[in-house]
Amino acid sequence: MPELVDIRPLLAVLASLLCAGAVFTVRQSARWRAFWSLAAAGIKFALVWSMLPGALAGRVYVYQFGELLPGVAFGFRVDALGLFFALVSSTLWIVTTVYALAYMRGSHSLPRFFGFFALCISTTVGIAFAENLLTLFVFYELLTVCTYPLIMHNEDLAARRAGRKYLIYTLSGGGLILAGMIVLYFTTGTLSLAETGILEEAIGRSWLLAIFLLLIAGFGVKAALMPLHAWLPAAMVAPTPVSALLHAVAVVKAGVFGILRTIYNVFGIDLLRDLGYADWLAVLAGTVIVIASVNALRQKHIKARLAWSTISQLSYIVLAAALLTPLAALAAIIHIANQAFSKITMFFVAGAIERGTGKKRVDELAGVGRQMPWTMAAFTVASLSFMGVPLFAGFVTKWYLSLGALQAGEGIYVGVMVISGLLNASYWLPMIYLAFFRPPQTHGQDASPKPARVSPMMVVPILICAAYVILLGAGASAPAMPFSLAEAAVRFAFELKVPLE
Amino acid sequence: MSEWPHWLPLLAVLPLLGGVLTPLLFRRRPVIPCFWAVAVALVTAAVAVMLLLRLIDSGDFSYAVGGWLPQYGIELRFDQIGAFALPASLLVMLALVFSRHYVARTVDPEKISYYYALVLINLGGLNGFLVTGDLFNLFVFMEIFSVSAYALVAMARQPIAALAALKYLLLGALSSLLVLFSVGVVFAMTGTLNIEDAAVLLEGSSSMPAGLALAGLATGFAVKAALFPVHFWLPDAHAAAPAPVSAILSALVVKAGVVGLLRTLELFGGGESLYLQPLLSLMLWLGALGTLGGALMALVQRDIKLMLAYSTIANIGYIFIGLGLATTSAVGGAMVHAVNHAVMKSALFLAAGAMIHQTGLRNIDDLRGLGRRMPATAFGMAFTLVALSGVPPMAGFVGKWQIALGALEAGQPLPVAVLVLAGLVVLAFGVRMINALYFRPPARVSTVSSVEAPVSMWLPVLILAVASLALGLAGSSMLEFVAPAVQAIYGTPP
Amino acid sequence: MTVVSSLASHIDYLVAVSLFLTGAWILLTSGNLVKKVIGLNIMETSVFAFIVTTGMVDEGAPPLVAAGLQGPFASPLPHALVLTGIVVAVSVTSLALVLILRIKAELGSVELDEIALAPKADDSAGQSNQRGSADE
Repeated sequence: MPELVDIRPLLAVLASLLCAGAVFTVRQSARWRAFWSLAAAGIKFALVWSMLPGALAGRVYVYQFGELLPGVAFGFRVDALGLFFALVSSTLWIVTTVYALAYMRGSHSLPRFFGFFALCISTTVGIAFAENLLTLFVFYELLTVCTYPLIMHNEDLAARRAGRKYLIYTLSGGGLILAGMIVLYFTTGTLSLAETGILEEAIGRSWLLAIFLLLIAGFGVKAALMPLHAWLPAAMVAPTPVSALLHAVAVVKAGVFGILRTIYNVFGIDLLRDLGYADWLAVLAGTVIVIASVNALRQKHIKARLAWSTISQLSYIVLAAALLTPLAALAAIIHIANQAFSKITMFFVAGAIERGTGKKRVDELAGVGRQMPWTMAAFTVASLSFMGVPLFAGFVTKWYLSLGALQAGEGIYVGVMVISGLLNASYWLPMIYLAFFRPPQTHGQDASPKPARVSPMMVVPILICAAYVILLGAGASAPAMPFSLAEAAVRFAFELKVPLE
Repeated sequence: MSEWPHWLPLLAVLPLLGGVLTPLLFRRRPVIPCFWAVAVALVTAAVAVMLLLRLIDSGDFSYAVGGWLPQYGIELRFDQIGAFALPASLLVMLALVFSRHYVARTVDPEKISYYYALVLINLGGLNGFLVTGDLFNLFVFMEIFSVSAYALVAMARQPIAALAALKYLLLGALSSLLVLFSVGVVFAMTGTLNIEDAAVLLEGSSSMPAGLALAGLATGFAVKAALFPVHFWLPDAHAAAPAPVSAILSALVVKAGVVGLLRTLELFGGGESLYLQPLLSLMLWLGALGTLGGALMALVQRDIKLMLAYSTIANIGYIFIGLGLATTSAVGGAMVHAVNHAVMKSALFLAAGAMIHQTGLRNIDDLRGLGRRMPATAFGMAFTLVALSGVPPMAGFVGKWQIALGALEAGQPLPVAVLVLAGLVVLAFGVRMINALYFRPPARVSTVSSVEAPVSMWLPVLILAVASLALGLAGSSMLEFVAPAVQAIYGTPP
Repeated sequence: MTVVSSLASHIDYLVAVSLFLTGAWILLTSGNLVKKVIGLNIMETSVFAFIVTTGMVDEGAPPLVAAGLQGPFASPLPHALVLTGIVVAVSVTSLALVLILRIKAELGSVELDEIALAPKADDSAGQSNQRGSADE
């Protein structure tokens, strides 16, 4: 892979860092705050997308500066997988910023909110572009630090409890990653993520098992891999844009990204196949998919249901990666995008419903479809994606995951896909039915439901994301779509020179 | 320049002289002694820079006081450990700048010039301790900085300060006497007081007096360094002292104990001495206990200065784990952590002092809501707390990583778990403080109406906070810098 | 017997160490602050005595008396060390006594258990953390 030194990765991280600083300093002016927030997201978007043509052509962009520790450089390396993650995050960041500007209007401590919001995008892109595990870890921990003020935004007791739980889990996860990194560095002398595996069997089974457990568990906290998931439902008390972005896109995806890096770049496919650890991971992921879906069924709050659905969907990615076949790997990577767009649509809808009608519970949804038709249509699109209906994004994932499972000789996971699809249907369809086909419950006060007034700045992002869900589903194989980027990443990981079968 | 060695004694003489002159020149004046003291510290720092540059250029050098050669006279040596004089002088200078407004409220106005005198004398003693190559000289400088430290703790007006100072004095004097006793034993055994000479003469000896001397020196310096379980003088002393004094104590005076132990290891090094290995293991395990104990105790404190004092004990524990592991990475990491911790802990104590000065309250719950009212100070404290807990790329990370790596190199996985666990506990109390500052409404009237501290108080805090990021980024170079010293003290690394 | 003879040859160590330990015991366990200082002084004395005895050189040329003499003499170097040590001890003791005077004035007593029980004067910085008896 030809490696080019390019300053764009550094700029991508720095740009939003500086814009975040600007947001902090323009204190009271809402207009400037909006400007700098959008500038942060926009510049990031432009820089990241500008690297796409190069990455599709097989180029890898690197930029290094100095050593943080003896023998471990601090630097960026943009390969296909990293660019994919960065693309998804930077695209979604723009729409989320627009949405957040509308949703948070009138709230308190806005400079702090938007400042840290912009800092989070910096750290997420830093994770995506990290050249080695240490750089990734730096930005990973900084992401935890920068998301904390966002979760604590409401500053009430529920926020503090959620924040404390969040920190306990994510920082402990960070500690596990750190321990894994130390053992990794001790046994191999490197932390590079540029290879298809830096570990070898010769190191010894006990060390290899320790590294695997530490890294997977450490990253698994943010990836909400049960039983390390408990922070995610608790963090739903945060404002909706925070839930949408962080828990659909940035924080949780950073966790699965870390797991992907561990599987593909630290261990490598061949070593893991020999060791057999990934099989256990697949079993765990499969179990999580089902259990989390069942839990989602039991939730009465909209956001809680979305949270459990997220936990289930994240394990799709983990399962796909753990199957260790090219087609499954493809499913893992594209599900980063598919799940992100679909879930963020749903979170945006939940927030819009809350702002427009004040409703937060599933059983209150009667008639909302008539009050907010476009919004609920988008919700329907997203839920069809999760159910795996063809032409929507989620179907692509399930298709490739099933093929990959068959390729690995583990047909049982196809069954897991089917069960999961049915479960998804069982908790999304009632919501849609209630919204569209039931008259709103009147509590005696207003007899006629008026259309809820929600700012267009909130509705447009919803529609954009929903449209993208359809686009990802129907037009997946078109060139220049992220799909080809995912293919490039898989080709690298599996060292294939030919198109996937 | 070939005269640089002649500047070596200045490191100690300048502050000592400056300190002694202060009450003579500025009796009863409250502000001028501050400028004078800052100037003296600045000049000392400049001398330290020159010497450091010479060190980097051409390696260790020594200076024979009065021209008497080492066998007969006192030798001063400037090696990597001596380079600690630079951060020491700079930290003292920043603490002095901070003191300008702070002491007005905490110290009797008549005694302010004595305060500055004592701080300068303390610096002089510290610098002398770092650069001396003679055992008795070591003792004398140790007493200089210790006695001035006892007196400084007592300068705070609260009655508890006198008791804390007396406790510190009694235990400190006990440890000093242990050191003196051991110096006497070494002199009896070898006939020389020069550290390098004595090391050669003591090489491989495992007689009872040698063991006695080693035990005495190790225990004496361990008390000064607040190693578990002889750490119990530290919380009261550091919490009761005026904030800039707490900063100097936690950052520098305690590290002098560590330096003393390093010199002891150098004295008895050569790897053959029977007693050395048990000592190293003891340091490792006591360090681990101190780390966990200190961190947990810090977590349950309500008074902010007590919390910081227990955090010092935890960090000293890290350093001892590193020293006890005796591999190049571990010891290098411990030394780098000593410097980094000095910078971070000073920032924290100064920030805490600023908050106490402005609100009159010391309880963490009472300090809620200061994030908005004292933005610079609160930011400095929050930033440094994140650094202290070891979030990369800040200063707290490098030392811990290296020590953990050294643990694996030495075949001891347990310290890695201790370090990771303790790091999480440190994060916990750091987050508690950050929560109180930023995410809680004020709980007391005095916090609602408080304003930002004067510039001379928040500026040093911010400078030190930024330094804790800069030092973190420079971790690699710092490790390279101390490597020769590790070689020299521990012999060939395993 | 070798044990007795080795003990006898190291008698200076033994006396010094036992005096040192006596002083340390008084320092650490006495409840009266003045007695602690006395214990400290006993420790200091033991160390000084020890150092002086190490200066007794059995076979050597005493300086300044005459050329070519051989015999036991007292090396002046340890005496110089001890003089310095005495100066240090005096300053430490005086500081300790001044602190005790202040403690007596502000806290009312020089007995540790009485200090712990007496209500502490509120420090000017507001409420301080409640500590148990001043433990050692």
